[in-house]
Amino acid sequence: MASDSHFLRFSLFHRFSHFLVIISFFGLVLTGMPLVFKDYGWAHWLYGVMGGYPTAGIIHRICALITFFAAFLHFAYLSVQTLIKKDRGIFWGPDSLLIQPKDLLNILGDVLWFFRLGSRPNYDRWIYWEKMEYLSLMWGTFVMATTGFVLWFPVQATSFVPANLANYIDLPSLALVGHRYEALLAAGFIFTIHFFHTHLLPENMPVDEAMFTGRISEEHMAHERGVYYERLKESGELEALKVRPSGCAGSLVSKIMGLPFLVVGLLIVGFMLASLICSLFTLIC
Amino acid sequence: MASILNTCGVVNNQVARVLIVGLFVALFSAVSSYRLYAQENSECMDCHTDPSKVDVKVRVDHVTGEVEIVSMLVDEEAFHASAHGGEDFYCIDCHADLEESEGEHYPNLQPVDCITFCHDDPAEEFLESSHVALMKENDVQPPTCKYCHSGYKSKRDTPRANDLSHREDTIDKCGGCHKEYFDSYRNNLHGQVTALGYVGTDIATCVDCHGQHTILNSTDPESTLGSENVIETCSVCHPGANDTFVKHVAHPKYKNISYYKEIFGAVKDARSDREKIIGIVKSPQTLITVLFVMYVGILVMTFSQFGMHSVFTWLATILDERKGKESKHGK
Repeated sequence: MASDSHFLRFSLFHRFSHFLVIISFFGLVLTGMPLVFKDYGWAHWLYGVMGGYPTAGIIHRICALITFFAAFLHFAYLSVQTLIKKDRGIFWGPDSLLIQPKDLLNILGDVLWFFRLGSRPNYDRWIYWEKMEYLSLMWGTFVMATTGFVLWFPVQATSFVPANLANYIDLPSLALVGHRYEALLAAGFIFTIHFFHTHLLPENMPVDEAMFTGRISEEHMAHERGVYYERLKESGELEALKVRPSGCAGSLVSKIMGLPFLVVGLLIVGFMLASLICSLFTLIC
Repeated sequence: MASILNTCGVVNNQVARVLIVGLFVALFSAVSSYRLYAQENSECMDCHTDPSKVDVKVRVDHVTGEVEIVSMLVDEEAFHASAHGGEDFYCIDCHADLEESEGEHYPNLQPVDCITFCHDDPAEEFLESSHVALMKENDVQPPTCKYCHSGYKSKRDTPRANDLSHREDTIDKCGGCHKEYFDSYRNNLHGQVTALGYVGTDIATCVDCHGQHTILNSTDPESTLGSENVIETCSVCHPGANDTFVKHVAHPKYKNISYYKEIFGAVKDARSDREKIIGIVKSPQTLITVLFVMYVGILVMTFSQFGMHSVFTWLATILDERKGKESKHGK
């Protein structure tokens, strides 16, 4: 095979959506996380850098709106695919991002591979952990948006709770707990698991350029997503996805764009982990 | 001064008018207070801004017996920014025992009496509050005026009500005794923002909800958070606050170990004292705590599972490479 062939893995629309999510996610984390780690110096410094109160709060809300816009784009895309293009493949089958029976087999296969009881399974278009990341992004955005709106408009939100239930349900406090710990989950997940499973894999280090240039090399694709590669090759769809390689400029741009985010994310998660250990330590002693 | 000029007998229309006004001012001040004979602040400041003339002094608090070393130097800028730093305040207004002295004075002045002539209202409210009553009942010395209203650099520079460092200081002062409530406050959004050092009047500190001097227990209907006033209190920042909104748990206890001890104790006594456990469960704290515990579980599960997945993937890849298979997928 010619190893310099490149195929389109992510369309411009998806790359743009991912870019929106990166921008807004970092804005949200940088302005929100200091509030959680309020007892630590780095949080004071970071909150000051982000403009302090109330500027940081305003940035946080603007970034939230960008996230909503990205979510809106995504659901508009899903609607167009299902209703107009009649593409059922996004719900069922090898191109779907929802968990399929094959994924359960792949998980089992991977566990066997961990314990040297078999060789590594071949993956299709989406690997099972990528599907889990996608589904947790969907769930996380839903939780963060609803709790965030309750915290943004606490008075209006509580008017939906009847007064006789108010002795049991305190909406703003519940929203704060949900918002805070879902945020820890999301930031912790993205800055460790997502980074390590995509960008920091030995073959992708330091940035998986596919999400920025949209392109993947034939060799990489056959290695990482063997079933997908063979499937497209047999059906002849592979030729349609063939694109010019991104070249030096594309690689440079994706590194310039990706690396700072990677470094900031790893720094933040380092601070978070250190603070968590300190908190647990003071709790025990 | 005015009266001396009056006796000079200068007859001039304009001067006469000034003199008449001056006479009235002099008379008025002679009748209303003793300011006619008062030393100007500048006379005090001559020495009290000069490090070669005044030094430090050991001061014993006449109420608490607390001993401290205080500087007798006055930072004029800080003093003028303080609540008592206005043009119409004189040093001897507070240090009344120096009223007629001139030049050097004896070292140990009378303790300043904030209450009798000026601040009798807040003092009365404070001293009659249930806060002080409870302290007396438990044999705890109630705080003096200066305990809370002390300046940043020197106790003398009484801060204004909305002074930021005063607002920040108040949280620590209240929290010094009310440790549990301080911790739970810090766990709520108000306390998170103030912990980062933003203590403007748009974020609630202790006094914004619980009142400044008339501090009543929040279960008292007449307190700022009691059924009669709570909507008004919350509405200051949250316009339109309704009956549900005001039930907000401003002190969520899910990170206070004592809360779990309390639950544990109540569960142990559940047979003999059913009311106790029911009282704890029938509170909005319960649901918040359940959500918190759930999230701790989710966080631990997620990170341990995906963490293990990462470690295993890396290990398995390395082992494959050692065997010379590369990390080849499939057959």
